[in-house]
Amino acid sequence: MLSRNRWQQAVLLSLVAVLFVVGCGGGDDEGSGGGAGTAAAEQTLKWGLGSEFNLDPGLATDTTSAKLVLNLFDPLVKLADDLEAVPSMAESWDVTGAKVVYHLRSGSKWSNGDPVTAKDYEYAWKRAVSPELASDYSYQLYGIKGAVEYNECEKNCAKLRDAVGVKATDDQTLEVTLTSPQPWFIQQSAHSVFLPVHEATIEKFGDRWTRAQSIVTNGPFKVEGAQPSASITLIKNSEWRDAANVKLERVEGKIIVDGTTAVQSFEAGEVDVLDEQLPAAETPRLKDTPEYELYPGLGTSYYGFNVKDNITDVNQRRAMSLAVDRQSIIDNITQANEKPANAFTPDGMPGEEDIVGEGSPFTPAAGDLDMAKEYMAKAKNPKTKITIYSNEGAPNKEVAQALQSMWKQIGIDSTIKILEWQQFLEFLGPPPPKAVDIYRLGWVGDFVDDINFLELWTCDSGNNNTGFCDKEYDALVAKAKGTPETAARYAIYKQLEAKLTGPDGALPFIPLWYITYPNLERETIKETFKINLLDQVDLTKVEVKG
Amino acid sequence: MTGFILRRLLWTIPVLLLVIFLTFVLMRQIEGNPFRQTSRAVPLAVQQNLERKFNLDEPWYIQYVLYVKGVFTFDLGPSLVTRDRTVNDIIKEHFPKSVQLGLLAFAWAIVFGIPMGVLAALRQNSAYDYGLMFLSNVGYAVPSFLVATLLIYYVSLKGGLLPTNGWEGSWKYKVLPSFALGLGPMAYFARLVRGSMLETLQQDYVRTAKAKGLRWPRVVVVHVLRNSLIPAVTAMAPLLGFIITGTFVIEVIFSIPGIGRYFVTAISSRDYSVVMGITVLTSVVIVFANLVVDILYGILDPRTRDARA
Repeated sequence: MLSRNRWQQAVLLSLVAVLFVVGCGGGDDEGSGGGAGTAAAEQTLKWGLGSEFNLDPGLATDTTSAKLVLNLFDPLVKLADDLEAVPSMAESWDVTGAKVVYHLRSGSKWSNGDPVTAKDYEYAWKRAVSPELASDYSYQLYGIKGAVEYNECEKNCAKLRDAVGVKATDDQTLEVTLTSPQPWFIQQSAHSVFLPVHEATIEKFGDRWTRAQSIVTNGPFKVEGAQPSASITLIKNSEWRDAANVKLERVEGKIIVDGTTAVQSFEAGEVDVLDEQLPAAETPRLKDTPEYELYPGLGTSYYGFNVKDNITDVNQRRAMSLAVDRQSIIDNITQANEKPANAFTPDGMPGEEDIVGEGSPFTPAAGDLDMAKEYMAKAKNPKTKITIYSNEGAPNKEVAQALQSMWKQIGIDSTIKILEWQQFLEFLGPPPPKAVDIYRLGWVGDFVDDINFLELWTCDSGNNNTGFCDKEYDALVAKAKGTPETAARYAIYKQLEAKLTGPDGALPFIPLWYITYPNLERETIKETFKINLLDQVDLTKVEVKG
Repeated sequence: MTGFILRRLLWTIPVLLLVIFLTFVLMRQIEGNPFRQTSRAVPLAVQQNLERKFNLDEPWYIQYVLYVKGVFTFDLGPSLVTRDRTVNDIIKEHFPKSVQLGLLAFAWAIVFGIPMGVLAALRQNSAYDYGLMFLSNVGYAVPSFLVATLLIYYVSLKGGLLPTNGWEGSWKYKVLPSFALGLGPMAYFARLVRGSMLETLQQDYVRTAKAKGLRWPRVVVVHVLRNSLIPAVTAMAPLLGFIITGTFVIEVIFSIPGIGRYFVTAISSRDYSVVMGITVLTSVVIVFANLVVDILYGILDPRTRDARA
């Protein structure tokens, strides 16, 4: 009996011993984990990234990738805080009708020592529209003469490639021929797909040229190392033309895919900035902390009607829009201080004050139930049993439920269907399927001209899932595209916006709110870390303060 | 034995073909477009360029044949969404991390689970037994994501002892994720070993061994433990197979760049080739894990060895 007891004690003791060793071992490690940053003079930014990234400017489609490549490569122009184009690699530019000439700075170098020339941009732009690269963003360059033809090419592509209207006439001059005068082109060329790439590196490494050990860049920062799907380290490029004005020495980017973990990581002092994916559930708690920062975004969240088959009466659409208490949805559900939308053209868009004016009469921030009922009464054969389509992910379902109860008050019974994202996209069309009465979507601008928003509602637009089709509207869009003078063009935009959301507009959708980007930023960098309307960040401006 | 192993290895070929076929068909059944991840519509020309580039414009049976050919030449093709990496790259980069995580979790399970079971059985109906079995019930019932979240909150955030997430570098990154993942199997093994220990302890040969005056530790180790481990071994192999081929939840919560996280992301983004590649990999691992169990059986229990010879 005694020996049996001893045997058991031995097992128990060893168990405790192992637990103890695992629990307390290595306490002398220098604590790579917790603890806030050390000396503030150390110019290191620890950056929590929300998703995987691709460092190929031609293939960077998500915001994480775009934020990185815009700091690794040197764009011709950058967007200032007011979204005006300001010189970057291009010292200046001339626009004459459909011809744009960029004058590049001299003396700039790639990270391998090669000089940066206009040819690098020509190569990059042609590569971005090449059918071989099959870039998602190739359509951004469709304004360039011959770009569509080359992008659609199946054989004899070399000839079409040469015909694309971008040419480096010498090392410092890039000549671009557009299909028509496009006043927004200079600003558009600040987009990541217009960044230069290093031809020799791509030829040598093929698809793998973006690996840390092979990538060649020409921007203010360069890649020191990267772990696939885990982290990336950037260091200041001291050879960069304006390196003297770059404060940051080092950027340690870490991918944290789970929003809750990201917040915990921030709170534990492991990262200084979180600029993506703050979970909605955490917002109420984080909102009052000094690290919380909110930026307006260039985007509109809306609910689109199937105007073709189902919600055909404009009075019903007006009634449904009037019944929505946007402010309550923002205050109680989305909670990121979004601005209630009163048009499709978002807040902050150049010319927005003229284009939108007072805003739509059908979008009072807190809703107007009496007026909604009046319009509902005016509707002929209103559809009172409808299906709302939305997709998975907070807070889509909650928003749909809120709308459901608001529409109930004007006598509309709705059923909510939530689909998985990919199925949802396939399902919506266009053309819209008959089963859909109303659906959730949003639009976030690619570049800062309202054409990028208003063009969405043309008959042939792949993003117009409503079935709204007005030939006059399309004609006005075409006219706006051919109107380089700003004031005149904005006047057309005003007409277009009125056709959508104005007093006599067709209201093919209900504008809900203009998006915001909530961030968590450590106070040491809060003053200098800024997100612009297009969700870009300029790391050359960031400085870690004590 | 060699004949048996060979036969089993050859069997993996039809199994793989079936797995590939089913995954292929199922993936094509669900709607979606790997080239459209945002609400932004993809222009027709771009869509066609992409389909041509990845052979998606071919009829499905050609795609299938091309794919099978690829698998048997160890080329799993390019990723449709992560455009700068091939499926081989993805597996090479991410699979080892999942294996590492899985093995560490498994180590927790074995090192603590088995002794817990043994102890509980030897002291049946004592405070040890009730205490350990209560712990193991809790460990088995509480889902790993909850364990993970609680661990991060108390150990990392409040305690400041370990980092909240990450994997590369210090061992500190590995403690919480492997424990969170290993807790369930640990509890499972503890219960399994306790049960079969209790059964074995009732056997005549144990009484005989005791009666002839063998020292108790020797009885336990040589006669009881060895025979009680067979059910645990049976459960171990498939579990090990699943655990090392990646666990989405733990890999997401702790930001571990493992294959499990990649797998689920690939399904929701419709990255067909990645989904196929990881499925093939998982099947191979599980087929092998089962083979290993069968071999281990033979070592633990000579009777099963003879039956199969």
